[in-house]
Amino acid sequence: MNESLYGPKTGEGAWLWFIKALTGVLVIVILFTHFIVNHFVAPNGLLTYAEVLKYYQNPIIPIMEILFVVFVVSHSLIGLRGIILDLKPSRSLLTAINWVFTAVGAVAIIYGVWLILTLVAKGASS
Amino acid sequence: MSDITREAPITRAAKWFDPRSRTINMVGFILNRITALGLTLYLCMHLIVLSQLAQGPGAFDTFLANIHNPIFTFLEVLVVTAGFYHGLNGIRIVLISFGVGVRYQQALLISVLVITVVVSAVFAVHMFSF
Repeated sequence: MNESLYGPKTGEGAWLWFIKALTGVLVIVILFTHFIVNHFVAPNGLLTYAEVLKYYQNPIIPIMEILFVVFVVSHSLIGLRGIILDLKPSRSLLTAINWVFTAVGAVAIIYGVWLILTLVAKGASS
Repeated sequence: MSDITREAPITRAAKWFDPRSRTINMVGFILNRITALGLTLYLCMHLIVLSQLAQGPGAFDTFLANIHNPIFTFLEVLVVTAGFYHGLNGIRIVLISFGVGVRYQQALLISVLVITVVVSAVFAVHMFSF
């Protein structure tokens, strides 16, 4: 491999590499919080549906989870793209992959946000 | 340029599994990729499974009851292992990319491996003693 393991590679661009690094750190922070709060602070560790719904009524939880979805999906897809770049895809293949990954990312994030907001709505109406 | 010989793709691929010429840094990099792929798979499954939450109390509570299977516990330990390694190594990579601690990169990598093993062991003991 003629590229450094610690910086952006050919075809990745400094911006994408930087976003990967930044979202990575943010994911660690939120994951840590998510894990501790979901399993140790939440009453009974969120072991039933009713507890989850009640838990999501606190506005800081959906906000944290939405941010989590955005950061983790971005980090994962940019990382996957980096792995694919090592297989040296052609220009047109890379463009296709860019489109597919953007679409997959958008769908995943929209789905995640929808799911979170659905839980909030269900908890509010019960 | 008339006698370029190219090795067959299968030979190239087989070299991926040959550990003899790997440096510790390369091992670190490979583990980072493997954990990345594992965590991505986990992410997909986690997102799909959580859709069961939106289907109502019966689905979720049934699902949780089914999860108390040692196989799932073992998989959860794997996820924690992968997550710790990937996260700690990620921090190490970011530090080195910005020039901090470049001289200690191998020592840092070994610390990451040790911490991952210890945390996984503690987590496994905790999860399996119920």
